[in-house]
Amino acid sequence: MSRQRVWDLPTRLFHWSLAAGIVAAVVTGKIGGELIEWHGRAGLFILGLVIFRVVWGFVGSPTARFANFIRGPRAIKAYLKGEWKGIGHNPLGALAVLGLLAFTTAQVASGLFANDDIAFQGPLAALISKEASDQSRALHSLVFYGLLAIVGLHLAAIAFYTRVKKESLVKPMVTGWKEDDPVLAKVAHVEQRSRLGSAIAFVVAALIATTTVYAASGGLLPAEPPPPPAAAAPAAW
Amino acid sequence: MKKSIKPLVAALAVVVSASALAQQAPAPKPETLIKWRQSVYQVLAWNSGRIKANVEGTYNKDEVIRAANSTAALANSGLGALFAPGTEQGKGWHDTTVKPELFTDGKHVGELAGNFAKEANELAKVAATGDQAAVKAQFGKLSGTCKACHDDFKKKD
Repeated sequence: MSRQRVWDLPTRLFHWSLAAGIVAAVVTGKIGGELIEWHGRAGLFILGLVIFRVVWGFVGSPTARFANFIRGPRAIKAYLKGEWKGIGHNPLGALAVLGLLAFTTAQVASGLFANDDIAFQGPLAALISKEASDQSRALHSLVFYGLLAIVGLHLAAIAFYTRVKKESLVKPMVTGWKEDDPVLAKVAHVEQRSRLGSAIAFVVAALIATTTVYAASGGLLPAEPPPPPAAAAPAAW
Repeated sequence: MKKSIKPLVAALAVVVSASALAQQAPAPKPETLIKWRQSVYQVLAWNSGRIKANVEGTYNKDEVIRAANSTAALANSGLGALFAPGTEQGKGWHDTTVKPELFTDGKHVGELAGNFAKEANELAKVAATGDQAAVKAQFGKLSGTCKACHDDFKKKD
């Protein structure tokens, strides 16, 4: 009985937080009303997660790094022929990762500038005209379908692995360990990095993510000048 | 003398019948109806904007009463007439964004319009009390009726 370390803790936390965040965003977006504010918060939360993941894809553990699993068409062909031996995302799964990150980013970006034609607007909508903001909303509605499709594809792939290939991908994403693969144990070696190195990388990624969310939430926009005393009183006519 | 009366009577007849025809006011053009309804939604935007500002910031009771009353008045003003047949397409201030289903699904439109009026009337009642939290909650409910109609009958651009 052997097992391999496959997913580090930040990656796992990111994955499940993103899943929860997307569910929250979809539900609050569909219901609207008083929940629309939470829809906005969910969007900013998702943005932070995605930025973190992108940075982590450069400084994180080996299975998290884009350079290690984004391999190109030849590797995808080899994988489909059953010739890929590795740990973590396979070359085809890599496309799904990129697709999910891309659609999620597009959805958040369009949402930041959109308005709901009722009383809510994204934190950066003030930077553009109402017409442009309406177009951003239209894009947000459109990208939603793409996002839904790729999330569906992702879930279908997980189900395929479970039912057909008899391999649970859910458990390793929870525990971080991949069980019982003698071939893998011989071929793949996941280098361990010093705890300090991981911690520094995590802090850097988290800082970049936090700064981005701060900017996206309108934190860098000039503060509104205090209303003149006359404006606080009701209009005279 | 008798000869000259005929043309006079004829002229009188023409004038009377012309004015009778003129009493029937011509139906507003589709472009006008579309302009009016687009204007209604702009005024609703003004009202919802100031209600939102008041429930999230400093609360001015009178301002909210004005906005809520205005919204209720518009909701009860017989907006259906502005969606008369012939206005499925066209340009008011800008191209109409109404979906064609609005003109065929009368029952459902009536239901949503009724909900809009109901929640707007309730908001006007709540606004009179000056209770910021209650206004916020009822405004949330009203927003739901806006969304319900948009989701079903407004084009997504």
